[in-house]
Amino acid sequence: MTPALELQGISSGYGEALVLREVDLTLAPGEVLAVLGKNGMGKSTLLKTVMGFLPLAAGQVRLFGESIGGHPPHVVARAAVAYTPQEQALFQDLSVEDNLRLGLRRDRQLRVGIERAGEIFPFLPQRLAQRAGTLSGGEQKMLLVARALLCQPRLMLIDEITEGLQPSVIERLSVALRAECERTGVSILLIEQNVGFARGLAQRYAVMKRGELVDQGAMHGEDTAARIAAHLNV
Amino acid sequence: MTDTRRDSDLRLVLGLGALALASVALGPYILPTFLINSLLRAILYAAVALTVDVLWGYTGILTFGQSAFFGIGAYAVGLVFTHMGFSASHALLALVLSLVVSASTALLVGWLSFYPGASPLYASVVTLALPIVVTQILFSAGTFTGSSSGLSGFESFDISIEIWFWISGTFLVLLTGVAWLFVRSDAGRMLVAIRENEARCEYLGISVSRLKILLLMAAALVAALSGYLFASMQMVVAPEYAGFVFGTELVIWVALGGRGSLVGPVLGTLFIDVGSAYLSGNLPYVWKLLVGVAFVVVIVAFPGGLLPLPMALLRRLRGIPPPARGRGPMLELAEPRALPGLRGDSASALVLEGVCKNFGSLRVLDGISFRAGRGELLSVVGPNGAGKTTLMRCISDGAERSRGRVLINGFDTGRLPPERCVAFGIGRKFQTANTFDSLTVAQSLRIARSRLERPWLLHCSRTLALPDAALQVIRATGLDEHLDMAVRHLSHGQKQALELAMVLALEPNVLLLDEPTAGLTKAERTLIGRILRDLTEHHGLCILLVEHDLDFVREVSSRVIVLHQGQILLDATVAEVVESELVRSIYAGVGSHGESPS
Repeated sequence: MTPALELQGISSGYGEALVLREVDLTLAPGEVLAVLGKNGMGKSTLLKTVMGFLPLAAGQVRLFGESIGGHPPHVVARAAVAYTPQEQALFQDLSVEDNLRLGLRRDRQLRVGIERAGEIFPFLPQRLAQRAGTLSGGEQKMLLVARALLCQPRLMLIDEITEGLQPSVIERLSVALRAECERTGVSILLIEQNVGFARGLAQRYAVMKRGELVDQGAMHGEDTAARIAAHLNV
Repeated sequence: MTDTRRDSDLRLVLGLGALALASVALGPYILPTFLINSLLRAILYAAVALTVDVLWGYTGILTFGQSAFFGIGAYAVGLVFTHMGFSASHALLALVLSLVVSASTALLVGWLSFYPGASPLYASVVTLALPIVVTQILFSAGTFTGSSSGLSGFESFDISIEIWFWISGTFLVLLTGVAWLFVRSDAGRMLVAIRENEARCEYLGISVSRLKILLLMAAALVAALSGYLFASMQMVVAPEYAGFVFGTELVIWVALGGRGSLVGPVLGTLFIDVGSAYLSGNLPYVWKLLVGVAFVVVIVAFPGGLLPLPMALLRRLRGIPPPARGRGPMLELAEPRALPGLRGDSASALVLEGVCKNFGSLRVLDGISFRAGRGELLSVVGPNGAGKTTLMRCISDGAERSRGRVLINGFDTGRLPPERCVAFGIGRKFQTANTFDSLTVAQSLRIARSRLERPWLLHCSRTLALPDAALQVIRATGLDEHLDMAVRHLSHGQKQALELAMVLALEPNVLLLDEPTAGLTKAERTLIGRILRDLTEHHGLCILLVEHDLDFVREVSSRVIVLHQGQILLDATVAEVVESELVRSIYAGVGSHGESPS
């Protein structure tokens, strides 16, 4: 089966400073892979590079078998890739509804989409007219996930989505994303500090250290917990 | 910046300055008279362009009004010399008038442009109106100002053109040198900090409005002095010198030369103005068109202006690598300061009485009252959208509250802005990392210290003294290895840690932390928790913490407040809250026992 995402020896960074060094990684369709690691190790840089926000210094990025290295972000997004970055990802001055609408190709799907989003985040359908910038920090995160799900992605790149969410919402989100994977076969590349959430969702993990992948394996292997703990110095 | 690089930078500037002064000294002997004449005007224009660059290129205040101050300086000379005659004492009077009138005008303009809550656009609009107002006054004052034809034929200093060249040339070289040292100094970095993130500056206790007004006044004084020299030398003044066309041309010259580089705008002005003097005779209208087209091309193709291009070429020719990152300053431990005493008989560091916040008809906070003492770590938990961040804002900014009182160390904060509340001992960390992207880690920390330690005006300190808690956060998160790295290159979690360190550098005794560990690993979180406990237990701080990680809350808190739909639902011990059925149902989720990330 063609992998959803295949990275071969990719390096990238900001200006002349390389942050990622020769990263190899494969993600099967319907699979969830959690990238773990300490701060400043290049996890977010990995997602930005796949998405085309940072130029590739070396290596190949293949999306469903097709090479997309060097394409700008909007082209990558059109290949049904949804990216939820860590910062500044909503249109603060637009309403909740308009923010959701921008995740859609066709306006007809909006009503159904809002209903589905409401099942995961009950506050959303009641607050459609509110300006997104006036939502609380956690609510903004939820809107971000809702918009990403709305565009029916084949691949989701999710950067620390649980940050600032209350525990019960994190639980609900985990269930919803798992259901989405089973229903649509979407693959997810997940970056998380919340190891509990990552364990609940991902089948595999990878650990990043100073721009390199230093360990990969099955999430529910025998010694996984100990290995992850050792990497993160817990 | 490393010491060697700093020294070589200084040597370079001293060398270039000496070279420029030598050219000024030799100029009159080498250059033809017509060129000297054109240069005289261009040099004084360049001095004004320099002020536009400091205001716009560094501080982000797009100003069209510097011409008005130039005009005020020039008209002070014209009016005094025309109506009172020339003498040494009248020359002094004109100088005093030009400085006083320009400074007070700048004070008024600054107050109108930068009052708290004014958007950056206000300054541009007000400074655009200023030259129009000034020229209208000049037009309407009849023979007193000479109306549209201005004033000419008055007597002035009896000085040869060579000496004028030396005076104005030396003025420009010294001014550029001082401005160069200033923008690179510790105090000069504050200009960039203001441009990047005013809110963060205010919450670090820096009075942004006052600084901007002071800067505008200094820029007005320099422009007025240039106008004074100009009118004394040319013995003619006209309304155009105060007009908005000239004000806009200054902006164009700065953009063409390379804003934010000081030398670029100076060279840009000299080239364009001297070029105009030569070419506008042959190509009267085409010349302006050419400058206009060049402006558009430069803005689109080289947003940094033209100066960086020859610099890059020079660097390549000489094979010098781009400036390498240095180590940054040496970290030091700052002497702990005694906490400010509690006022009155208040035993509480933080008191809230009936605090309400409405957004239109929506009530986000509804009658919040509680007290927190020294050494207490009070956690605020609650569902997303319960009003936790709004509560933090209402405590730290008096203008945010719709109703109610907040006392910090016994001081009623009333409706005071954040920078004044900071003086009562409060420090706030925002929910999303709130930092200065184009400054380095060390520069950001120094700006955080500027309320307590006045930064150097003309040079950079080689050491950076920080309180113990800030040092611990920096070392624990590895930021001490990146002191000279630009903040925009830090990861999200590192930015969070930096902001926490910046707030701790303020040495607050009431600390508001909005999700301080978001984006940090479990190990880093544990460490931050230990630091927070140490701050409360051994240093007597009062900490108010918004946090979702109930394990973390359990580890560090002495008390927990549960906020739900803008009201306090529960104010109890940690154990009571964690065991509470209510909290589990609205917040923690089924089956969760305060179980958390990791």
